[in-house]
Amino acid sequence: MFLAIGRTSKEAVQNFFRNGWLSIATVSIMILFLYVLSVFVVIGFSANNILRNVEDKVNITIYFKPEVDENAILDIKSNLEGFNEVKSVDYISKNQALDDFKANNSDDPIILQSLDEIGSNPLLASLVVKANNPNQYQLIADYVGKAYFSDEVSRVNYGKNKEVIDKLNSIIATIRRIGISLGLFFGLVSLLISFNAIRITIYTHRQEVEIMRLVGASNTYIRLPFIFEGVIYGIVSAFISMLILFISVKFVTPYISTTVPSANLASFYWGNFGWLLFGQVIFGSLLGVVGSLIAMRKYLQV
Amino acid sequence: MVKEIENENVEHGFAMIKFDGVSKVYKGNFPALESIDLEINNGEFISIVGQSGSGKSTMLKLIYAEEMPTAGEVYFDGKPLSRISKRKLPFHRRAIGTVFQDFKLLPRKTAFENVAYALEVAGAPNLEIEENVPQILDIVGLGDKMEKYPHQLSGGEQQKVAIARALVHTPMVIIADEPTGNLDPVSSLEIVQLLIRINELGTTVILASHDKDIVNKVNKRVLALDKGRIISDNAKGKYKIF
Repeated sequence: MFLAIGRTSKEAVQNFFRNGWLSIATVSIMILFLYVLSVFVVIGFSANNILRNVEDKVNITIYFKPEVDENAILDIKSNLEGFNEVKSVDYISKNQALDDFKANNSDDPIILQSLDEIGSNPLLASLVVKANNPNQYQLIADYVGKAYFSDEVSRVNYGKNKEVIDKLNSIIATIRRIGISLGLFFGLVSLLISFNAIRITIYTHRQEVEIMRLVGASNTYIRLPFIFEGVIYGIVSAFISMLILFISVKFVTPYISTTVPSANLASFYWGNFGWLLFGQVIFGSLLGVVGSLIAMRKYLQV
Repeated sequence: MVKEIENENVEHGFAMIKFDGVSKVYKGNFPALESIDLEINNGEFISIVGQSGSGKSTMLKLIYAEEMPTAGEVYFDGKPLSRISKRKLPFHRRAIGTVFQDFKLLPRKTAFENVAYALEVAGAPNLEIEENVPQILDIVGLGDKMEKYPHQLSGGEQQKVAIARALVHTPMVIIADEPTGNLDPVSSLEIVQLLIRINELGTTVILASHDKDIVNKVNKRVLALDKGRIISDNAKGKYKIF
């Protein structure tokens, strides 16, 4: 058995190199498949990153009446934190709100001057609530409206956010739907092309398969070199596809980062280099092996 | 001569191959073979002659179990071939060496590798391969061309590689289906002389041919086929024109 594996794997390596053009043709088509697949993975994950980033900026801010004291607000904070839907609650005191306001308007002397004229701090203390999922904001807003502390609330800015949140929700859903269907479509097309390329490779070897049978090779012995060849195809294609992916990421990143700063494709590429390569090697080898096995059935008369 | 191709341990004279009322009909065609009864003894050299379509190749395919008879039974070394399971088929094939008109060499392998392949598939140890393959290539006269690929060899040389491959695992029977069909007269003669020598060393040889000169040169048992039937079977036969 070990003898057979040793001999057939050696043969597969030999075949790969002696086959020259056919190997190049098959590998380049498999590169196409793996490249398309990984481009969609990269785009998919980056899009998810962007969306998560935007989602993170959405929140409900509850402003409290000036007379409500800090301890009462902190009680309400811990009450809100008890809900499953709530991801985080941040307390912003009056003084902090003033500091933030001053920082944000530091280059506008009129506003700073008018603040000084008022003398006291006109800003309200607030709680910033973030949900786990954007479609839970409605629920939280409804709760805040009817809660035991609703009398102490000055206003909730959810109304303003509502439109943004709804829009975001539908954008996320659309992007996911389009991404998945495009990915599936291109994946399927390139899968079929690759499978055909492998079939042609096997077809050109059909006479060899016949000769092998006549010389008394068992079906397993005939199959093994083709299986190993499939694995070699997969590994070579995966490495080349990673290289092309690297080049395209490097080329595209500057354009994307200027429009969407949170989408750093290059950092995603390097951060997931191992997984991307591993996934492609597995997918490529599987395609090579399964494709060869199916294509060979006819000539092995099994 | 090397001991590998002498089959002295096999007793001469018993029926190595037996056709018992064998018919073969390919789908939608007239019968390729009709109720053939035939015995080929161990150590015999039999030439099968007949026009193309007379059933020669079908007869040979039944022996190496590439085809199964529609009716009747083919026995090889006393065992009915219809009983051989798919898993055991490669072992049956290793008892037979085959030589064809189109040589059937693996194009991506050198002469050495082509011959070695027959031993590799049978799980022979590397030492045995390294020892036997050059020896057998020497016998067929290609000792100096072992590293050549088939396309670098002449037709006659390719056929010699094929014969070396058929011989290397010391088969009980050599089947040669029109082995000289693609060769010039000089090469053809060399190939036939090789087959005769192999037979003299004890291996049963079955030669299918429609080349009159070749069959007459052999001057041994001749079986004539026409439209799937045996029309003559002479122990010391000449090729006849029908």
